[in-house]
Amino acid sequence: MPVDPITLTIDDKEVTVPKGTLIIRAAEQLGIEIPRFCDHPYLAPAGACRQCYVQVEGQGKLQTSCTVAVAPGMVVRTQNTSDAARQAQVANLEFLLLNHPLDCPICDRGGECPLQDQALAFGPGESRFIDAKRVFPKPVPLSPLVGLDRERCVLCARCTRFCDEISGDRFLELFARSAGERVSIAAGEDFRSPFSGNTIQICPVGALTATPYRFVARPFDLTSGDSVCQHCSAGCNVRVDVRRGEVVRVLARENPDVNDAWICDKGRFAYRHADAPGRITTPLIRDRGLEPASFGEILPWLAERCRSGRVAFLTGGRLMDEDYYALSKLARTVVGTNDLDHRRAFHGGLAEVVAAAAVTDRERSVTYRDVEHAPVILLVGLDAEQEVPILHLRIRKAAARGAKVFVVHPRRTRLHDVAEHLPTRPGHEVFVLDRIREGVDGESFEARAAAALRGAGGSGVVLVGERLAEHPLAADLALAVASKTGSRFGYVTRRANDRGALGAGVHPSLLPGGRRLGVAGERAEVEAVWGSIMASEDGRDAQEILQACADRLVDVLFVIGADPLRDHPDAALTRRALANVGTLVVQSIELGDLEPFASVFLPAAPAAEKDGHVTDWEGRSQRIRPVRDALGISRPDWEIFAGLAAAMGSDLGFETLEELHEEMASLLAPRAMPERPNVWAGAGPPQWLDDLTLFTYPLLVDEGRLSDGAEELKAALEDPAFAEMHPVDAEKRGLADGVDVRLTTAAGDATVPLRVTEHVAAGSVFVPFNQPGLAANSLLSGRSTASVTVAAVDEGSGPEAVPDAALATGPAA
Amino acid sequence: MVFEGPLRADADSILARYPEDHRRSAVMPLLYLAQSVEGSVTREALREIGALLQITTAEVEAVASFYTMYRLRPTGTHVISVCTNLACKLRGAEAVFEAAHEATGVAHGAELSDDGLFTVHEEECLGVCDFAPAVQINFCSHDTVSPERMRELVAGLRAGEVPSPARGPAFDSFKAASRALAGLEEVPSA
Ligand code: SF4
Ligand code: SF4
Ligand code: FES
Ligand code: FES
Repeated sequence: MPVDPITLTIDDKEVTVPKGTLIIRAAEQLGIEIPRFCDHPYLAPAGACRQCYVQVEGQGKLQTSCTVAVAPGMVVRTQNTSDAARQAQVANLEFLLLNHPLDCPICDRGGECPLQDQALAFGPGESRFIDAKRVFPKPVPLSPLVGLDRERCVLCARCTRFCDEISGDRFLELFARSAGERVSIAAGEDFRSPFSGNTIQICPVGALTATPYRFVARPFDLTSGDSVCQHCSAGCNVRVDVRRGEVVRVLARENPDVNDAWICDKGRFAYRHADAPGRITTPLIRDRGLEPASFGEILPWLAERCRSGRVAFLTGGRLMDEDYYALSKLARTVVGTNDLDHRRAFHGGLAEVVAAAAVTDRERSVTYRDVEHAPVILLVGLDAEQEVPILHLRIRKAAARGAKVFVVHPRRTRLHDVAEHLPTRPGHEVFVLDRIREGVDGESFEARAAAALRGAGGSGVVLVGERLAEHPLAADLALAVASKTGSRFGYVTRRANDRGALGAGVHPSLLPGGRRLGVAGERAEVEAVWGSIMASEDGRDAQEILQACADRLVDVLFVIGADPLRDHPDAALTRRALANVGTLVVQSIELGDLEPFASVFLPAAPAAEKDGHVTDWEGRSQRIRPVRDALGISRPDWEIFAGLAAAMGSDLGFETLEELHEEMASLLAPRAMPERPNVWAGAGPPQWLDDLTLFTYPLLVDEGRLSDGAEELKAALEDPAFAEMHPVDAEKRGLADGVDVRLTTAAGDATVPLRVTEHVAAGSVFVPFNQPGLAANSLLSGRSTASVTVAAVDEGSGPEAVPDAALATGPAA
Repeated sequence: MVFEGPLRADADSILARYPEDHRRSAVMPLLYLAQSVEGSVTREALREIGALLQITTAEVEAVASFYTMYRLRPTGTHVISVCTNLACKLRGAEAVFEAAHEATGVAHGAELSDDGLFTVHEEECLGVCDFAPAVQINFCSHDTVSPERMRELVAGLRAGEVPSPARGPAFDSFKAASRALAGLEEVPSA
C-alpha cells in the first residue's frame, strides 16, 4: 500500500496510487494508454500539447491528464469510455498535424515516432486542412550536433524544459508566440551543452535530429544491444544501435537507479572508436616490421620471456571487471609480480582502500539515490560536469530538491548556479577539509559546510574526486570529515571501470576486495581462493614502473587497453620507458602512438564486443552484453590472460566467464572494512607560495582515444588548448586576457592562449589535460600538478618560434 | 556596447530594485531601457542583458520575442499599433490599418517607412474593445479611430505634435515611451 493512498476509478476500473500521482500515470498502472506529447516522467508537468484530454466527472471542461493529480473518489473517463475525450483527442491530433509536413519517409524518426504512432492509434486519419503548410529551412542547425526541422515541431516544450529543469543549460527556448511560436537558440549563441543530445531523444517527433545520425538508418535496419557507456565512471545505461555491423547510434536507456533517462553527449556521440581505421584485429609480432602472427605463435614466445624476465603490467580504466580480475590473478599467481597498476599516478591512501572494499557496503558508500536525496553534498576535487557528467545532473537534481551543495575545487564548475564554491588552490584542500573536520565556528564556508553536514542527520554526502588523492592524506581527511559528521563517503574515480580495477586489485599493494597485500590476514583470505601469491612485497605503481622501465629494470612491459603516452602525467618519462624496456606488449584494440615501441600486439575486443561487468563510481557492477561479434580474431582481455597462463604451464582456474565471475564474486563479497583514519594531526596554516601551481584534468571532450572519429562532437564541444589564470596573478605579471603565454615547468614548456578569469583560484593556472594544441602531460612529472612560471611570449616570436611542447620536450627516447 | 556610461548607471539602478537572487526579474525593464536608446532591442543588447543577469541570450530573446512591446527589428521614431482583432475588425479596423499605411508611406509587409519616421504594425486585442477600432501610438491609446482620424494623427506627428491620448500620459516618441516603461522617468500625468 503506498503512503497516502488514493483510490479512484478510471474507465470504471478502480486503482489506488500514492497522493500526488498524475491521472496519466495512474492510468498507466491500469494499462490504459492516454496519448501524450509534452508529458515526460522526468520533467515537470506542462500541459503544453493538449493531447491527453480526459473527462473528470463533476468538472465541466475536459482536463489534461498530465497536469491533474488524482483525488479520492475521482471518476475519470479516457478516450476508451468518453466520446468527448475521444473527440477532443482526435481534434487535437488533427490540429497538431495541420502544419506537419509529410516527411515520414525521409524523417529519422519515421518508424519510431510517437507522433506517427499516436496519429495512427488516436488520430482522425485524414486532415481537412487544404491550405499551404508553413515551411522553414531544413534543418536549422542549433549546434554541430543538433538540427531542428521546425515544421515538424509540435511545441511540446520537452526540449526547452530539459534545458531548464535538468541540465540548466538554457540555450533552447520557445520564442515568440501563437502562430509564430518556435523553438530556437539565440542568434550567435550555440546550443553548447554537454547534454544536448537528450533533447533529441525526448523530442516526441522528428523535429530535433542528430547530425551524425541524420539519414543514416531506418529503425528496421538496426539491431540493438543493451550496454553501459564506457566513457566515464557514471555507468550510464545505453542502447547501442548497429547497422550492418557498424555502430551508428547510442541512446540512453532508462534506469532510475543510475542515469534516470539521460546520457551526456560524449556517451551519445563518441561511438566510432571501435570502428576507427586504426583498429587491429590480428596479433602482430616485430620481425622486420610488425608482422601478423597467431595467438598460437605469440603466446608461447611471450610465456618464455615472462618466465625468465622481470615483468610489469600497466593498464587503464576501460577493461571489464573480469579482465581486471584475471590480470590481478595472472600477475600474482602465475607471473609472480606485484608491479601492476591501472591508475595514472594518484595515490588514494585509505580512501582508496575503502573505495576498493566498499563495493557492497551500503552503510558507508554512496549511490545516485543517496546523492539525489541528500540534504547536503560536499564535493571536493571533482569537476562533475566534465568528469562524471551524469553525477553532475544528479547533484543538480538534488539541488533542485533543496540540497545545499558545497564545492571545494580550484576552478569554478558548472554547478556554480546551484552550489557554493570555494576556489581552492590545488594542495590547499587539506586546510579547508581540516577546518571542516574541526567544525570551526563562524560564518565561513568551512563553518557552514560543517554545520550543514552535521545537521543532515546521517544523510549528508561527501564526494571526493580521485585527483584529490594525489595530495598525501587529503582524501583520507575527506573520509575523516565524513566520519566525523556522520556522512556517507564516495571516492569518485573518473574512468569507466577504474573502480572495477581497484576492486579486483590491479594495484601494487591491493588485492581483490580492497585487501592489503601487506596485511597477512587479508592476504590469506585471497590465498585461500587463489593459492599462493608469489611475491609478498608491495609492487611498483605506474610512475615507478615507468621509471624502472626507463632504468632498464623491467624486461617485459604489458600495456593493456591504455595509452600512457597520452594519459600518463609524465610524457618524457613514458617515452624513455617505452624505448628502454626489453619487450613491450601492447594489448588493445589499436596500436596508436605505441606503434614504434611495440614488440608484440595482442588484439583485444572493445566493450561493444565483450560480455562482462563494469563497476561505476558508486561500486555498482553492471552486466554488459556484446552488441556485435568480435572482429577478426580479437578476444576479450581475460581470455588472452588465461591463454598466457596456459602457455606458461599454469592456469587461472576458470574457463568460462561464468566460472570467473563466480570466483571473483566470492572475493568481492561484503567484508569488514578498515577503520577510518583518525590520524590527522592538523594541517597548520597554509603556506604562502610565491610560484604558481599548474593543475590539469581532462575535459569531457578532448583528444582522448575514445573520442576518435567523433568529429561532430568535437566541433560542438571541444576547445583548443588554453590556460586560465586569476586576474590578480595576471596583473602581477602584466598579462592580458587573450595573449599567448609560455608555460614553463620542470618537465617542459608550452605556448597557449591565456584566459584571465576569476573562476580559477588565485595562485593556480589551469590547463586542460588533452585539448588540441597541448598534451599537458608534457608539462608534468608524475603528478597532475606542477610548479609553473608563466610569461608573455616574447615580442616578435610567434608561435612558430616556440618549440611545440607536445612533441619537442624531454629527451625523446 | 549598449550599456556603458550613463546607460550602464541606469541599468544598475534598475538592477538595484531587485534582490540579488531575483536579478533575472530585471529583464523586462532592461529590455525597455535598451529599446529607449536604439528604438529597438538589438542583438548586442540581448547579449548584454543576458550577461548582466547571468542568463543565456536565448532566455532574454524568449522574453523579448514573446511580448509585442519589444521591437527586435529596426523601428521608426513613432510606432503605430493598430488592433485588428475581432471587435476592432468588425468596426472597420482594416480600413484604419490601410489608412495608416497610406499616410505614413509604410509599404505593406515592410513595417518601417523609408524616412524612418514610422512603424506600422498589426496588434492583437488592446483590451479596449468598447472603443473599437483601437489604436496605440507610442503605447498611448487612441479610441474609436476612423481612417480619417488616423490620417490626422499621422499628419500631426509629421508636424512634430504630440497627439493627446484618450487616457494616460503622452510620449513624443517610441524611445521616450520605452524609457518611461523602464521605470526611469517620472511619468507625466495626462
Ligand atoms: S523540438 Fe521536439 S521536443 Fe522541442 S518543442 Fe518541438 S516537438 Fe517538442
Ligand atoms: S556521463 Fe559518463 S557514462 Fe554517462 S554517457 Fe556520459 S560519458 Fe557515458
Ligand atoms: S501530454 Fe498532457 S498536455 Fe501534453
Ligand atoms: S479587439 Fe481591438 S481592442 Fe479588443
